[in-house]
Amino acid sequence: MNRYVITFSKTGTICYISHLDLMRMFQRTFKKAGIKLVYSQGFNPHPKMGFAQPLSLGYWGLKELMEFETVNEYDTEELKKMIASMMPEGIEIIDCRPLEGVRKTLAANTVAAEYIIAIPVSESCDLTVEEIRERYLGQEAIVALKKQKKKKELAEVDIKPMIRNIEFALCDETLFVTAELDSGSTSNLSPELVIDTLLKCLELDIDRSEIAVMRKNIVFDFKEF
Amino acid sequence: MLIDKELDRVLKKVEKPARYIGGEVNSVIKDPEQVAVRVGFAFPDTYEIGMSYLGLQILYNILNANEEIYCERVFAPAPDMEKIMREEGRVLFTLETFTPVREMDILGFTLQYELSFTNVLNMLELGGIPLRRTDRDDSYPVIIAGGPCAYNPEPLADFVDAFLIGDGEELLEAVCIARKEALSKEEFLKSICKMDGVYVPEFYEPEYNDDGTIKSVRKIYEGAPDRIKRAVISDIEKAEFPVNNIVPFIDTVHDRSVVETFRGCTRGCRFCQAGMIYRPVRERSKETIKKLAVNQLENTGHEELSLLSLSTSDYSRFEELATELMDICSERNVALSLPSLRLDSFSFKVLQEIQKYRKSGLTFAPEAGSQRLRDIINKNITEDDIYSAVEQAIDLGWEHIKLYFMAGLPGETYEDLDGIGEIARNIMDINFKKRGRKGGRFRVTVSVSNFVPKAHTPFQWAAQDTKEIFIEKHNYLAKKLHIKGVTFNYHETETSSLEAVFARGDRRVGRLLEKAHELGCRFDGWTEYFNAELWQKAFAETGTDIAFYSSRERSYDEILPWSIIDPLVSDAFLRRENDKACAGKVTPDCRQGCAGCGINKYTECFKGAVGDYGKEA
Repeated sequence: MNRYVITFSKTGTICYISHLDLMRMFQRTFKKAGIKLVYSQGFNPHPKMGFAQPLSLGYWGLKELMEFETVNEYDTEELKKMIASMMPEGIEIIDCRPLEGVRKTLAANTVAAEYIIAIPVSESCDLTVEEIRERYLGQEAIVALKKQKKKKELAEVDIKPMIRNIEFALCDETLFVTAELDSGSTSNLSPELVIDTLLKCLELDIDRSEIAVMRKNIVFDFKEF
Repeated sequence: MLIDKELDRVLKKVEKPARYIGGEVNSVIKDPEQVAVRVGFAFPDTYEIGMSYLGLQILYNILNANEEIYCERVFAPAPDMEKIMREEGRVLFTLETFTPVREMDILGFTLQYELSFTNVLNMLELGGIPLRRTDRDDSYPVIIAGGPCAYNPEPLADFVDAFLIGDGEELLEAVCIARKEALSKEEFLKSICKMDGVYVPEFYEPEYNDDGTIKSVRKIYEGAPDRIKRAVISDIEKAEFPVNNIVPFIDTVHDRSVVETFRGCTRGCRFCQAGMIYRPVRERSKETIKKLAVNQLENTGHEELSLLSLSTSDYSRFEELATELMDICSERNVALSLPSLRLDSFSFKVLQEIQKYRKSGLTFAPEAGSQRLRDIINKNITEDDIYSAVEQAIDLGWEHIKLYFMAGLPGETYEDLDGIGEIARNIMDINFKKRGRKGGRFRVTVSVSNFVPKAHTPFQWAAQDTKEIFIEKHNYLAKKLHIKGVTFNYHETETSSLEAVFARGDRRVGRLLEKAHELGCRFDGWTEYFNAELWQKAFAETGTDIAFYSSRERSYDEILPWSIIDPLVSDAFLRRENDKACAGKVTPDCRQGCAGCGINKYTECFKGAVGDYGKEA
């Protein structure tokens, strides 16, 4: 089995390309490069490739991961070079290596992700970082409206237990929130809900389009990767 | 590409922001400081539609291969984006460098359908460019336009500085280079109007009779030609064709590799504008087509290949080409899509091969419901052709037949409409015979569009049905086609008569267009955005008589607004064809003998085709 994983970043305007579109872009890259992927068996075969976690439209990603399985074996340095040379502006290939000793897919092994959220607060917020932290985490429950997986209806959910860690920093009238949130199939928290609840808690009236989100890292249930 | 914070905010608010960011694989980035001429190539519809248009890829490739030119793309922003742009004072920009279109030296629109005309005006406005050419000084880009709708340029003549008529491969680049050399806009227009295919409306002034028809067209600049000959590429084999096509990130209408096999059509359907204005047939060699296909696939990573022409099976070595392309595609795990096949036994073999698992519907375009009317329009297809193909299709497992017809063709009667119902019923019966009384999941879809008379066709003098008659005919057809297993679709009446107004409008309908734009009409080809009330208001406020333009038959003596354009197909031929239509007489395919359209006075017919065609009949 020739399983590989590439680490890449997605920054700049290309953040407006959706997860599925990015997937197709990579598929076409493989086709161009003549890299044959292994196809799944079954009625509707599809190439064995996938991202560790989809990245929401508009988010930047600093350490995104994509795994794939090839028919032939490749030298990872060569693979990296080949793929990197075909990337559009905004996608940087950071690393490429064999994916060994990992059962199931990376997606199935994902447990958390670390985000940086930048909120321009300007003068509308006169709280200190400590006060912000105290106000937000001091709530007994952080209640957000979350879409239910099956029913697709909105329901009130306490997201506090899904926040693994959260730090605040103020710089240049911008509030930087660094948060490690549950991510994956078992428990998943979208940064959007952190933004909603935080704005509400701090009584800030800031349009969503002013806020930038960047995913820094994806965390897996195995220690070293 | 780095963008400013404000634009970033805008992109966060709109649907499908990827429409506006460019940066796709194979898009071209140049340093604008290093080029002599900057060109905005504008498609007056959304990104998804514009990026599916091969002409854009062809011309983008040619212009950007020239070091002195930088060609960037511009599309019409979707209504949600437009709203935000207006609120935030953001002007229309190019996708490559986010430069305001106003800073271009040339802004060129491609006119593919009449119902995109309001988008042309809207894009000028969003670009901060005055709509009327008389309101623009030399500080604005020169506005040019080309494409099939430029063959009747008059509705846009008040807004566009120069129209490019005919094949654009050589002409557009020559025009761009002339821009570099000219010191003023006037000098530029005076120099390019001498090129074949360039129409500069400010050099001509129409005068009208009391009845509204054109009395004469006065030439204002002596150096301008009396009639504008369309530009023709005589050897398509030598014409530039792209292999580094831009690969969109997002889903577009067509996102696949595509090679044009030949230009022109020999069939001579009398309603068809493309069949007249793209004459003569000129083929690319089989080897070149294959090479282009392979190169495109290698440079794009596309999973589908398609061929483009007006009639796929008419390529002179079609069987060999199809067979060889099937091999090329299967080797690469690429799907092959062959549109508009004539359904003979070979085509079925090919279709069986390329649609092994998923069979799309089989499409026939008889266009008219009776042999009499098909003879009038010179559509060379018989009911027996259809039925025998349907029998084969059912045997091979197809379960969906699609039929295309037109309502309102010249000489049409209600018996012809009955014929549409009969054809649908007969096809259902064939299936019952083959598969028993229940007939399985077999379906027939009948789509009826409304006939729109087009400039430079034998039917250019014909009256279009009024809206009332169209509605009556649709209702009649709906009854006739109330058959189990048959779906009936028809085209909206309002847009068809609007299309007719601009297809044959004179310079005065420009006011109507301007008014409609002012009232907020745009994306008129989109059912969800088309607003009939606003258009009615525009007609009323400008005093435009819709009947004068759409449902009035013209006489041979009338000076037609598009007479200034010479399509190289003779006026005498168009009249002869119209006379033959009235007499119910057909004209054979030019492959069987020259029909004498006159194009061979200017260029060679069947250039590149293998075989012996078109000898004098």
